[in-house]
Amino acid sequence: MRLGRVFDDRTRKAVTSTVYKRTRDVKGAIFRTLLQVALLVALLVLAVLLVDTVLDGWSVLDGRLGDFLAGGLRSQSGDPELGVFQGIRGSLWIAVFVIVLAFPLGIGAAIYLEEYAPRSRLTSFIELNIRNLAGVPSVVYGLLGLAIFVRGLEDITGGKSVTAAGITLAVLVLPIVIITSSEAIRAVPGALREAGYGAGATKWEVIRTQILPYAAPGILTGTLLSLSRAIGEAAPLILVGAVTGFLGGQSGLLDVTQLQERFTAMPIVITRWVQQSGRDGGFATAAAAAIVVMLVVVLLLNSAAIFLRNHFEKKR
Amino acid sequence: MRRAGQVWQWSGAVICAAALFAAACGGADGATGSAPAPGGASGDDKGFGIGGDPAAPGAGQGGSLAQRELEAISGTVTISGSSTVEPISVRVAELFRDVAPGVDVTVDGPGTGDGFKLFCAGETDISNASRPIKSPEAEDCAAAGIGWIELRVGIDGIAVMTNRGNDAVDCLSFEDLYALVGPESVGYTNWSDAARLAAELGSTTSFPDLELDITAPGAESGTYDSFVEIVLEGIGDHRAEEGAISGDEAATTRPDYVSAADDSIIVGGIEGAAGSFGWVGFAYAVNAGVKLLDIDGGDGCVAATPATIASGEYPVSRALYIYVNAERAAAGEALTGFVDFYMGETGLVQAVSDVGYVTLTGDARAETVADWSARVIGG
Repeated sequence: MRLGRVFDDRTRKAVTSTVYKRTRDVKGAIFRTLLQVALLVALLVLAVLLVDTVLDGWSVLDGRLGDFLAGGLRSQSGDPELGVFQGIRGSLWIAVFVIVLAFPLGIGAAIYLEEYAPRSRLTSFIELNIRNLAGVPSVVYGLLGLAIFVRGLEDITGGKSVTAAGITLAVLVLPIVIITSSEAIRAVPGALREAGYGAGATKWEVIRTQILPYAAPGILTGTLLSLSRAIGEAAPLILVGAVTGFLGGQSGLLDVTQLQERFTAMPIVITRWVQQSGRDGGFATAAAAAIVVMLVVVLLLNSAAIFLRNHFEKKR
Repeated sequence: MRRAGQVWQWSGAVICAAALFAAACGGADGATGSAPAPGGASGDDKGFGIGGDPAAPGAGQGGSLAQRELEAISGTVTISGSSTVEPISVRVAELFRDVAPGVDVTVDGPGTGDGFKLFCAGETDISNASRPIKSPEAEDCAAAGIGWIELRVGIDGIAVMTNRGNDAVDCLSFEDLYALVGPESVGYTNWSDAARLAAELGSTTSFPDLELDITAPGAESGTYDSFVEIVLEGIGDHRAEEGAISGDEAATTRPDYVSAADDSIIVGGIEGAAGSFGWVGFAYAVNAGVKLLDIDGGDGCVAATPATIASGEYPVSRALYIYVNAERAAAGEALTGFVDFYMGETGLVQAVSDVGYVTLTGDARAETVADWSARVIGG
């Protein structure tokens, strides 16, 4: 191959100008500035939203956080028992269902697809469909949940219960878990696999001792981000029957006997309070405070994800 | 190099979360000494006159439960239906919990129509409704063998609104409203566009030269149904007879306006445009930054106030209902106890006014209570 084909005139010019510093790299500088502006705008919007929400909800967060975290759905914003406990409880159990159902199923499916499945048309057809499923609007999963988990499996889930909601959202994030886990497994260097087989390890041993530990940080990041998504979803929950008005007879946070009872969740609580703010202005404050509480929960989850990722990365 | 970057990311997120928490927690510490938030009527939850004779209005054939018995009963009451009525039932449920802690009440508000679907499928004990049951819904209920007791619990005026800065309009007649949003107003983008039609209908109101921005409930809403029924349908029928519009159009609005399901969005739309126009439940408009228009229903201009709505002088108001499953009301003491309580002073007066709705007048209340006592089954 002649050199002229690889380096055309433009490349040659660029290299010359860089080496001799005859011209300044104006386009590069503009591009760099644009990127910085993009980052700045994104951060600024986030900061404004965050500050605005915290300020809006400040009187609740500052004045009665304890009661607010212990309270439930109420008809009046001035009620001392108004709070987010029932919402946190629902969201927590949804998270438990996602972790227990979607994570093992999703990671398992990803391992199969990447390591065991033959490279056939069927496999790529399945992979394509999983990617499509990840893009399906969440309302559609709500309808699915209503038909199957609320109506069809009523004996198991108890109808419009937190169990039905948890399973629905686990199904919702399943494709995302599979895709992110697949990507992480695919990123494992082939040499690692070959070295394992070369040393006489079985397929299972290679997966367990080489591939999973290497892919663990990526898998964790993906799965925990999908958990954050599940916690933030409101639309499917409305269809699965999250309660917006009043929820009597709820007990402790971890009371397993309540799993077949009606429920509510943080996004539903926030949505309803925003709607109620027209009738009773104090609900706007309560909604802002609830958003802050939810943000804290999600941020804690994300920092747990990063912490775990770093932990596994060290072990790598 | 890489490791350091990740530690930074991690600690960044933790610091973020910690800062939010610390700020909030610090605030709570400081406030432990101070009094709880001024709760309005909710401050005296426990003290409210349950001791008196709470169930007296419910006394009658069905029998009512004394306070001591209420404490002992247990069970569940499931309520769904109108989101407009939801706050009233929630307030009653809150107050009821103090006297009957053994009863679990669940309330939600997907909408009047959805509520009746659940009710007629036997999934709920009580259905909140911002309009009377429609005949197809009644047929569904009858087919499923579900009888209901219709009880009027309060009144909701429909506030007709414009922007605060719109000084040109103070009072509108039904004819004006028809000219602005009726089926014949399609395409009107300025208030003055409606003048000709209003004059043709016999109105003398003068319309300003102002851009017309309509934000109002959509057709799925009970508030929409009520507005059409009270304001537009009469004139629409008349116009259909005259041949100006088709019969199908008589009970509709123009389709070309911004419709929203969320009341606060409607109010926001009214606040946001100088020549705005729309309508929403009175409870949502009265405290908002909008101008409530007086309405002339044929007997002069009347302002929307709790008094004029309760007396019926304000022409655009509707009753709010609960529908009780008759069979279960006869069988279950949790449901009976709850509705008894609802029909008491605490329910129909305190709860209704606590959440910003207009209470029934004394006579109307007595009628509702009598309907419940006699278990008048509709259908």
